[in-house]
Amino acid sequence: MNAADMIPSRRALRVWLRHLVQYRSFYVAEWAGNFGEHALYLLAFGYGLGRLVPSLNGISYAQFIGPGLVVSIAMWTSTFESTYGAYNRMRIQKTYEAMMSAPLSLGDIVFGDLLWCGTRAIVGATLMMIVLGLFGLIGSPWALAVMPIIFLVGLMFGSLGLVSAGIAPSFSFFSFHFSLVVMPMFFFAETFFPLKGLPEGLRLFSQMLPLTHAVKIVRGLIIYGRVDDFLFHLFVLAGCTLGFMVCATVSVSRRMTS
Amino acid sequence: MVAELDIDARGLSKSFGDLKAVDGIDLRVERGECYGLLGPNGAGKTTVIRMLHGAARRDGGELSVLGSDVTTHSRRIREEMGIVPQENTLDNELTVYANMWVFANYFGIPRRRSLKRIEELLDFVQLTEKWSEQIKNLSGGMKRRLLIARALIHRPRLLILDEPTTGLDPQARHLVWQRLRELKSGGLTILLTTHYMEEASQLCDRVGVMARGRLLVEGPPADLVRERVGEEVIEIRGAGREAAVAALNGLGLDIERAGDTLYLYCRSGAEVVERLVSAGEREFLRRPASLEDLFLRLTGRELRE
Ligand SMILES: Nc1ncnc2c1ncn2[C@@H]1O[C@H](COP(=O)(O)OP(=O)(O)O)[C@@H](O)[C@H]1O
Ligand SMILES: [Mg+2]
Repeated sequence: MNAADMIPSRRALRVWLRHLVQYRSFYVAEWAGNFGEHALYLLAFGYGLGRLVPSLNGISYAQFIGPGLVVSIAMWTSTFESTYGAYNRMRIQKTYEAMMSAPLSLGDIVFGDLLWCGTRAIVGATLMMIVLGLFGLIGSPWALAVMPIIFLVGLMFGSLGLVSAGIAPSFSFFSFHFSLVVMPMFFFAETFFPLKGLPEGLRLFSQMLPLTHAVKIVRGLIIYGRVDDFLFHLFVLAGCTLGFMVCATVSVSRRMTS
Repeated sequence: MVAELDIDARGLSKSFGDLKAVDGIDLRVERGECYGLLGPNGAGKTTVIRMLHGAARRDGGELSVLGSDVTTHSRRIREEMGIVPQENTLDNELTVYANMWVFANYFGIPRRRSLKRIEELLDFVQLTEKWSEQIKNLSGGMKRRLLIARALIHRPRLLILDEPTTGLDPQARHLVWQRLRELKSGGLTILLTTHYMEEASQLCDRVGVMARGRLLVEGPPADLVRERVGEEVIEIRGAGREAAVAALNGLGLDIERAGDTLYLYCRSGAEVVERLVSAGEREFLRRPASLEDLFLRLTGRELRE
């Protein structure tokens, strides 16, 4: 394996297509399930819990967390796909090994997996957006423009997941990934409550989480159709994603080549 | 004339920590040749194969496959090389047919164009009826055959098989042998590893015997057996046969004792048999020397798990 093998090419689409074919066999049932689950989340948090929350800058609590849920669903699906899913492909089903006996480089395989994570993130987020639409919680046609951001979120959490999948000695290792990476972002990336009024330390911490920047962009687009400091947030998001992608490639390559 | 080398390894080495899994091997396989790599478990066969397609990095030596250096051209080499791995790497969630076309797609062969080739190959390995079956419903033998068909999807010039028949029943094994012979006569270069000496004798133009990461001997199986073991083997089983052996003094026989059995290796068994009979010994087995004798003599009889 040389350095050139770490750089992805168009052939990553062949890997992506394999994941799509594999997924096709059960997607209808899964979509129906997810759809119900998303609606439930919104009802429970937005309307149940939301009754206790005063209006925030003129928007209801359900309106506030809707975009947060869109982003966190993108995070969850791409994380599952890249931790349990990729570990299974890498260590149990030997899918990666089969790909490496074909003319696919490690970069192609990793990037193909990440493209797939991005795709899954978009599918999950779209279902949530439909739910939001049905509840009348989408305030601007710019809401459609969140998809590239959701895709980035998928790539980013896909990369983080692959880093863990590369070093995990067993499935149980992923509980660290969830408690150290996913849960803090799930709660503190301005998904469920605004940063304003929080203790300074917590606010700083939240600001440092890459997901916070995705939430800011997505919330802006869905509710108001505009985002303050858009380029800054995008830059942080893209920069983190790129960095994590490099880490993912290194981690998987250490696992796959001895 | 110097034949073209499809595999050319010189001083190939690979260690895992302190363990020298492959310890300076020279391996040359000519175009159109079928080469068998023999060796007990842990000899280093799979590691050699993994280095051939770039899945394992070598620590030392030169390695070129199909005329290109593996370090720099591994991906391109794999475009013309088929690999049947030791472990099943089929896509368990896909059908037989989907496994084939997804793999074809890895090579950039579009689905429409791969269709005929897939039909041909499934027929070749007698899996046509199973085309819509899930992998988990296939027997071990069917999975091996499908792996072979899959490795041929892109019409490779070089086919590498790591223990293609381990765990197969005799019917399935003979079918695989038949197919490999057909492929060979079509001009394909084949490198295979195996535990079955009969397989190696039947299929391979040349074999190499490996143990502890080293290549001990190499050559056409029949020649190797003749040179290293002899023409015939006489086995005497049971305890208390020292008297019989004493009768053989002076023949300069190569005698090996293993458990309760004595193995007498000789050029011709006639004189040995005569002496044994006249010493009153009637229970022995006379048979032609085989590759298995060579293998056991070279690699020892103790178990490797
Ligand atoms: N990834 C690995 N890490 C550590 N040791 C390994 C690894 N792969 C193989 N080995 C060791 O290298 C030796 C050769 O293994 P292998 O090439 O699989 O032998 P064979 O295929 O002839 O049975 C064995 O002792 C095996 O335990
Ligand atoms: Mg092996």
